[in-house]
Amino acid sequence: MTENAASGPAVELTINGQAVRAERHMTVVEAAWANGVPRVSGVGCLEGVCGSCRILLRRGKEVGVALACETLVEPGIEVLFLPPPAAPRHQYELTDLSDGWDIQARFQEIFPEAARCRHCHGCVRSCPKGIVVEEGVALAVAGHFREAGEAFFECVMCELCDTACPEQIAPAHVGLFCRRITAFFHLRPPNLINRLEEIRQEPPQDGKEKP
Amino acid sequence: MTSSLSYQAALAAYRAGAEPWPLPEPMDPDRLLSAYHPDYLPGSMTTLAVGPNAGEQCQRELAELLQAEAYIDEVDLAGVPVTDTDVLVIGGGGAGCAAALAAAEHGARVLLVTKLRLGDSNTVMAEGGIQAAIEPGDSAQKHMQDTLRAGHHAGDPSLVAALVGDGPDVIRWLIRQGMQFDQTPSGDLHTRPAGGTSAARVVHCRDYTGLEMMRVLREAVTQHRGVEVWEQHSAVELLSNESGQKCVGAVLASRADQTLRIVRARAVILATGGLGRLHLNGFPTSNHLGATGDGLVLAYRMGAKLCELDSFQYHPTGLVNPPLLSGKLVTEGIRAAGALLLNAQGKRFIDELQPRDIVSAAIIRECQEGRGIHPASGGVGVWLDTAGLERRQPGLLGQQFPKLLARARMAGIDPRQEPILVYPTLHYQNGGAVIDAHGATTVPGLYAAGEVAGGIHGRNRIMGNALLEIIGFGRRAGAAAALSGHDRGPKKITLEHVNRARRALALAGLPLARRAPLLFPAYTAPGKDLWKS
Repeated sequence: MTENAASGPAVELTINGQAVRAERHMTVVEAAWANGVPRVSGVGCLEGVCGSCRILLRRGKEVGVALACETLVEPGIEVLFLPPPAAPRHQYELTDLSDGWDIQARFQEIFPEAARCRHCHGCVRSCPKGIVVEEGVALAVAGHFREAGEAFFECVMCELCDTACPEQIAPAHVGLFCRRITAFFHLRPPNLINRLEEIRQEPPQDGKEKP
Repeated sequence: MTSSLSYQAALAAYRAGAEPWPLPEPMDPDRLLSAYHPDYLPGSMTTLAVGPNAGEQCQRELAELLQAEAYIDEVDLAGVPVTDTDVLVIGGGGAGCAAALAAAEHGARVLLVTKLRLGDSNTVMAEGGIQAAIEPGDSAQKHMQDTLRAGHHAGDPSLVAALVGDGPDVIRWLIRQGMQFDQTPSGDLHTRPAGGTSAARVVHCRDYTGLEMMRVLREAVTQHRGVEVWEQHSAVELLSNESGQKCVGAVLASRADQTLRIVRARAVILATGGLGRLHLNGFPTSNHLGATGDGLVLAYRMGAKLCELDSFQYHPTGLVNPPLLSGKLVTEGIRAAGALLLNAQGKRFIDELQPRDIVSAAIIRECQEGRGIHPASGGVGVWLDTAGLERRQPGLLGQQFPKLLARARMAGIDPRQEPILVYPTLHYQNGGAVIDAHGATTVPGLYAAGEVAGGIHGRNRIMGNALLEIIGFGRRAGAAAALSGHDRGPKKITLEHVNRARRALALAGLPLARRAPLLFPAYTAPGKDLWKS
């Protein structure tokens, strides 16, 4: 994958406790593969949108989290691949939320922790996408679901914010809930609805129309 | 003919907003394709010797996997724990999730298994959008004509009719799952044209359509009471009945503890996606790590007929550098919005909204004939003139293409100020398992949905039809699988189809050393991680 790159001096770093040498242009994922580090196939899109390759990263005294496919190797860093996020604790199905008027109450029932944010900024610091996580959760708690969902627009569901949250708020799921109910209750596009109505009034063709 | 330019020299010669040259006379499409499209590379194809497609042309690297030995034998199954379900879905991308939800809506117990994490798939990486004929003046018939024409009339008209007919209802279903789409100020769904479409028909969520779709579907599946999900479980083989004529389940290998599990099911849905990670013909790929063609291998060994095994899509605009993003996609939406392609001389060389195979072949022609641009990190490409587009429509890139800007930031360039270097990248498997309008393959009990299925896109897919197919046909397969098989389930599970395939390989004198499905690309150091390899 990287055979074309200009090679520079090798970089030494640690991945999952194993000392490895990598080319300067490599990502942490590529460095792990090139060195045969075991158990590094829990990797997905390799472009930062699937949120699977979660790592803990130590740079000197600074410890943080990141996505391995977006992180270039640096001399002396220590990397630990994190396990995938736990199954969501919050249970809801959109079809159970038939009445939009009680949606704030239902949100508080489903995500009771969301109102207990301590404003520690752990989620904001842990987000590899630069999302204003804390602000988004506050908007959701205040019932501003559309704005809250918009704040999470670039969320890739890596759930590193959840890992960082002392109140176990699961901000990524809060954001997704906000986005989903916004579409579910409010997205009623006239051009789509008109076409669906035209189709409904046509005699059924059952996928057998001729070109 | 001038020789190719270095990146720096070409960038110095490039002037944003310079009046583009008029298009040259277009070359005959068939001649262009046969001269430059990678499907026509000498030595790229071979003839299959065994199996349901014996005697037909197949891409060489894929043929090696289709004609490979299985990982397991009957002795491996002794004492392996058995789980029963109604519908087994293999694959956790968009098609798998849509199939699982549809099967559960029809009352089936559903088990969805994926070798990675739920949602790790090509779906999550899709950018441009999803086609649905919803604009006044557009129609399902036009959508059908566009799809068939771009596919060089190799698609199955009954499948295409089902695809385009599903379009509007698929969008409604996605909204009901909680998916957002971009709207115009008056509330209509915003539509874009695409290469090869006769109307603006692609609806989208900025350039993150796949991410928005996948995170919504993943949540819907996880939250659904009728669907159980096993992540990190690779399907290493299917199971057949005593005669090897019906699919009755699958053998899974857990990546956590390397143990095997048997799942017995009344119906199995393959939703395993494509094969970009086989890097056919040495091309980089836009695909997800798991796209190793497993479903094709499993289906073929089970006796399912496949189609168009010699036809693959190379997306015109893959990134060339930096190396960590090599082959990653720049959405066709940017060309639909008006970005031009320019060669090293700053000249246009193709109508940018021709179907993808034509545009890719034209880019390869420019580079082969010395009108490409060579970056220091290696490779070659042509300009995608994003800066010229930004100049004509200030602010457009920021509003509609946030993913492109985010990715370019990683690459260290600002596409609003300079053009992007692009070259075709292996993107999509045009063919796959032969299916009917319910997603049923030629093997009873076995269904296929999404990229693993074939017959819809012919020999070239147009933008936005993949996301439509995975939801439309995913739901069709899920519903059909849930309603099929009112018998009391399989009595006996065997590997009779594996024995049959092995006999055929031996008779044909083919080696039995190679094993498939691949599950993961070799460069992930599988020896350290994977079951039995």
